[in-house]
Amino acid sequence: MKSKFLLLAFLAVVQLANAQKYIAKTGHIWFYSHTPMEEIEAHNKQVVSILDVSTGDIIFNLLNKSFEFKVALMQEHFNENYMESTKFPKSTFKGKITNLDKIDFKKDGTYTAEVTGDMTIHGVTKNITTVGTIEIANGVIAAKAKFKVIPKDYGIQIPQLVENKIAKEMEITVDIPYSAN
Amino acid sequence: MKKIIWFALAVVLIGIIIGIFMWLYAFRKADISVASKKADIEIRATDLLKNFSDNEEVANKTYLDKIVLVSGLIDKITEDSTSVSIYLKNPQDMAGVMCGFDKSAIDKSALKSGDEIRIKGICTGYLMDVVLNKCAVEK
Repeated sequence: MKSKFLLLAFLAVVQLANAQKYIAKTGHIWFYSHTPMEEIEAHNKQVVSILDVSTGDIIFNLLNKSFEFKVALMQEHFNENYMESTKFPKSTFKGKITNLDKIDFKKDGTYTAEVTGDMTIHGVTKNITTVGTIEIANGVIAAKAKFKVIPKDYGIQIPQLVENKIAKEMEITVDIPYSAN
Repeated sequence: MKKIIWFALAVVLIGIIIGIFMWLYAFRKADISVASKKADIEIRATDLLKNFSDNEEVANKTYLDKIVLVSGLIDKITEDSTSVSIYLKNPQDMAGVMCGFDKSAIDKSALKSGDEIRIKGICTGYLMDVVLNKCAVEK
């Protein structure tokens, strides 16, 4: 009898823990590269993200091949020459919101979120820290951020021939609307 | 002399034609859907998911960049300003196949949860679900 009660209690705790987790499967991440010669923009609307509001753990996973470009050849070059997407299909971020005490997930509003964690692109992992926002409207949580990534930091070589067409820094924008799990 | 002029003209003309083709190739628009293309592989959504969850590496080799025609049950349809996503999943399963559409490539008015559907798209890999993009509904 006692063990049954313990099991029930355990299940209840698991349920509670589950309720703290928010998930997104069609999150939007895009990057933008600007040089006087060329503007490049690519969108990925199939980003998976999990946000645990009780611990502040946050992860983003995306498939490099899900980035869509306006011009087909750019998409080919991106996957084949730069990201080597067949060898490294995914880019990931696994980190934590470090100022969790300043965010009230139960109250609508826009909160600044300090995030730090490991980003893996092209098989190279780097620790990054950035500032984003958590927006809560009618109880729906969205995570947004904008930051720069330097391809060279992740071992992505840009040939001299196209050096002035591809920016040294990519502007990454994150826009993830979550639903409760 | 006349011959040389004709020859030069022909060379220039061929050059221009090659140039136009190269330009068209380099700046061709990325397709927003695979509607007009033939599927490489036809499979049930549940089997596709199983192949990825059993061995992702092997499945990547088989399916990545391929046009896959999946059939399955609609679990959920979501949309934003430019795209629509149809999530194929059996009610009892934990994961499924996520299909991304350009908004102009789909008329979702007749679709609803629980419907059996056939969707063609390019397989981009496996996260929590198998992901297809540039999808089109197969009639």
